[in-house]
Amino acid sequence: MALEDYRRDIEGCSRCSSCKWVPYNQIKSWRFSKNCPSIYRHNFHTYSGSGRMVIGLSLLEGRVELDETVAEIIYKCQLCGACDSACKTYRDDIDISEVLLELRAYCVEQGELLIEHMAMIDALKREGNTLGEPKAQRGDWAEGLDVKDVNAETCDVLFHAGCRYSYDRDARQTARGHVQLMRSAGMGVGIAGKEESCCGGRAYELGYRGEAANYADDVLSLVKSSGAKTLVTACADCYSHFQYVYPKMGKELPVEILHVSQVTEKLLDSGKLRFRRKLPLSVTYHDPCHLGRKGEPFAGVWKGDKLDRPMNLKRSGRKGVYDAPRNVIDEIPGLELTEMERIREYAWCCGAGGGVLEAFEDFSASTTAERIAEALATGAEALVTSCPWCLRVFKDAVEETSACIAVYDLTDLALMSAGIAQPAAV
Amino acid sequence: MIRVISDEAYKELEAAVGPDNVSRLPVVLDSYAFQPFENHESMPWCPSPVAVALPSTTEEVSEVIKACNRHGLKHKAFSTGWGMWCGPTTDNVVQIDLRRMNQIVEIDEKNQFAIVEPYVCGAQLQAEAMKVGLNTHIIGAGPNTSPLASATSMYGVGHDGIYMSYSARNVLGLEWVQPTGEVLRLGSPGSDKGWFSGDGPGPSLRGTMRGYTGALGGMGVFTKVALKLFNWPGPPQVKSSGTVVDLTSEIPENIGLYMCFFPNADKLADAYYDIGEAEIGYNSLKVATPAFMMVLAPHLFKKLKDTKNLSRMLGKTMGHLFLMLLAGTSKEDLAHQERVLEAIVDEHDGFILDQKNIPPLKSNFMMNFIRATLPALVFRIGGSFSTALGRNDSLDSQVTWGEAIADIKRGYASKGQIIDDMGDNPYFVPYESNMFAHCEVVYPYDHRNPRYLEGSNNITMDFIIGAVELCMEAGFGTLPPARKILSPLTSNYNYWQKKFSEAFDPDQGSDKGLYTDETEFDFSEIAPERVAKLERLVKERTWTELGPPE
Ligand SMILES: Cc1cc2nc3c(=O)[nH]c(=O)nc-3n(C[C@H](O)[C@H](O)[C@@H](O)COP(=O)(O)OP(=O)(O)OC[C@H]3O[C@@H](n4cnc5c(N)ncnc54)[C@H](O)[C@@H]3O)c2cc1C
Ligand code: SF4
Ligand code: SF4
Repeated sequence: MALEDYRRDIEGCSRCSSCKWVPYNQIKSWRFSKNCPSIYRHNFHTYSGSGRMVIGLSLLEGRVELDETVAEIIYKCQLCGACDSACKTYRDDIDISEVLLELRAYCVEQGELLIEHMAMIDALKREGNTLGEPKAQRGDWAEGLDVKDVNAETCDVLFHAGCRYSYDRDARQTARGHVQLMRSAGMGVGIAGKEESCCGGRAYELGYRGEAANYADDVLSLVKSSGAKTLVTACADCYSHFQYVYPKMGKELPVEILHVSQVTEKLLDSGKLRFRRKLPLSVTYHDPCHLGRKGEPFAGVWKGDKLDRPMNLKRSGRKGVYDAPRNVIDEIPGLELTEMERIREYAWCCGAGGGVLEAFEDFSASTTAERIAEALATGAEALVTSCPWCLRVFKDAVEETSACIAVYDLTDLALMSAGIAQPAAV
Repeated sequence: MIRVISDEAYKELEAAVGPDNVSRLPVVLDSYAFQPFENHESMPWCPSPVAVALPSTTEEVSEVIKACNRHGLKHKAFSTGWGMWCGPTTDNVVQIDLRRMNQIVEIDEKNQFAIVEPYVCGAQLQAEAMKVGLNTHIIGAGPNTSPLASATSMYGVGHDGIYMSYSARNVLGLEWVQPTGEVLRLGSPGSDKGWFSGDGPGPSLRGTMRGYTGALGGMGVFTKVALKLFNWPGPPQVKSSGTVVDLTSEIPENIGLYMCFFPNADKLADAYYDIGEAEIGYNSLKVATPAFMMVLAPHLFKKLKDTKNLSRMLGKTMGHLFLMLLAGTSKEDLAHQERVLEAIVDEHDGFILDQKNIPPLKSNFMMNFIRATLPALVFRIGGSFSTALGRNDSLDSQVTWGEAIADIKRGYASKGQIIDDMGDNPYFVPYESNMFAHCEVVYPYDHRNPRYLEGSNNITMDFIIGAVELCMEAGFGTLPPARKILSPLTSNYNYWQKKFSEAFDPDQGSDKGLYTDETEFDFSEIAPERVAKLERLVKERTWTELGPPE
């Protein structure tokens, strides 16, 4: 697909601005009623979901030329998908998220690249991860863990750690925790260690389709050779790419794909995991965009007029992973969940996605700050989430601003309550 | 090639609003030129502005306008910017996007009003008002629109009109940056006495600020308005899950929702009159059942619509129906209102389907109704829609007009020139004690399909002729070609609008293309006999200086 293939989607926009707001029936206050970090920060219509689609039309019709400034606007967007979900409360025939991805692919095709993103892609090519860390150290996080090496033996469950969990100084401990949690319930977990590669999702989102396809091929062949029936990841980004982008690229993984929160929920349901310890803590939960609305599995492409597209092929964002983490929280004795105003498919983004963290640090930070403010407004003592990217930016923001809220990975709380380990929070 | 503002003018705009809040980048300007809704002429573009400014205060708005005037540039403001009427109508226009003026300045609980800036949307204001037991009027377009824009600049009808009237009626004070850049406060704030009365002490706003339609950006910029708020007897926040189609809400025991069916349009109208006299009703809307169903389940009904006689069957059994939401101050009050409604409906040979007997419907409709979130679902049918000349008039005449227009609509639907939504699909809401009603007939089409656009001039002309023939105000005469035809038939309204414009905007700085401009209607596609008919009607019905024709 190319930008031109989405012309009807773009021309379908009525400019109603629903893509700038939380779906109206869920607006609970003046303060937390906006949903798009980009226009919230930059204000010109151009920065909204609708405005971005218009950029596409302006380019297609030759009204505007692609240059550095235009590319910069295109990339000042977390690809969080909030615009897409909101638009779809009214529209069946517009896929904003797809247009946003095509715009980026168009930038790459035309050679209009951001330096920061080129650096990330170079690192990816060199070291196989988005953080530019040495490839040889990718498996270090698992040192000493009782876990299978899928390069040497087969396994039932392949755990894909992802770049952030593999290298991030704080997240690595949690990565071990994910595995410990599954192992404690008797699951035969394997990892690829230093042979694990990036899922390629970031490359796809930045518009580097060729690189993304290569990484998908790597993951696909690893999954096949591992003999696993289930692929588990704790990274929301990886989860979304496995569930949606891979099949869209024609590289569907032939296994069940689960996020670790879903695994935890299943283990609780089957009685293989029990939460014993009381954690007297009031918490609020942040839905990672890529686990929530962007975690909705790929359902197929509709080639005809989207006004006639069957509803099951419409990616509304409602079928993402929302209940599993909440059910896990619910099961932990002592935890008291107070929801933020913007949740589920209309959750506010953490600020890290779409290459914004790497290229526009200020914009990323202001988006994060807005979510922290919303979390603080609930009165909760802790902000819980299920994605290492969200965790990273939340922890940094809390540290920098001394905001009075702790930040936890859901698995860390699960481990504490199950009495498996007790990692520290920031 | 997109034209941009000169360096000198740009610097002055930068000085007015700060460098981050003005742009002349072609890519930014083009995103403001995209205005497809009701843009039949040059879909989807309107003329590109030469700059966009984002002021955050009244003073900044004033500075922007003064800078434009110094450089011979026109200005055009919008609040949320939905519809072609928001974009420039000509070259050389600076677009003033008011999204940074987004504050609810005050909610005065005791005196039941709110002071708001332009980029406060209906849903925000309602959510905050409900926290203190109050509610705000939201127009039928939906809660994404700006209550200030509707109150000051354009129309203002919604299906809470039965209880909360018409936007222009609810103005209790106003701040206005005139086309000269001077700031004027109308109503009681005009004499620094607080924001509680639209008529003073201080300059009165009736008729100065706007007429029936509003100036559509052609008379400077409105920066603050005090709006009357109304009683909300529900909880501070209605607990809901889902968004629109999948919405479910907890229903308070003092709120009821009823579908009232009648054997014909006259009985429905009579019942509305009696309901007005009985002073009950919180929200109400006449509904075309088949079209309503199509909006909720477009796929299914697009398939079913060709089923023999389905639409006739639905039309016959459910053709004359209104939805009524009652809100009591207590459970007992609701029971009383319910008995009154039952008696009135019964007296006019109707019957009621009480939605408490259909819990899923009630739990879905209640907030969708109160927050006006359902009407925009009409976009699902064809991707866009248009409406036949919305107008406000006595309730009886609206019923007659609605039926006549529906016949025209059916003709176009049967020829495939618009999408058949199986019904007349009026947006028909009563207000002013139900003596008055607003009616516009909605017709869906796909604006991306040239087939539909080709017929649009014909449709417009038929609606105009239909209204003029019935001796009724044609309404929505905001487009320059329609204004040229309609103004002489309707008290020469444009003559007076021009007088206002000259008085308040001597240098004609506001972009008034949609306020006072007149252009020739393109008759090239209209059949000669239709043109002749229109000419005859115009001749017969043109007002003279002494008043309407005999
Ligand atoms: C799909 C659709 C359905 C609609 N249905 C209804 C309906 O049911 N009832 C109804 O009453 N109207 C309806 N309208 C028209 C609507 O009233 C106007 O679009 C507007 O009043 C709503 O507010 P807004 O924020 O969207 O205004 P905008 O779209 O921002 O502006 C509307 C007009 O007012 C001018 N304007 C706005 N703000 C200012 C300001 N602060 N100062 C000076 N000029 C200003 C603009 O230039 C423009 O001409 C509908 C419009 C659409 C697109
Ligand atoms: S919500 Fe959809 S239709 Fe409305 S302005 Fe945004 S992109 Fe356009
Ligand atoms: S993806 Fe997110 S940041 Fe980008 S335009 Fe949509 S809502 Fe805004």
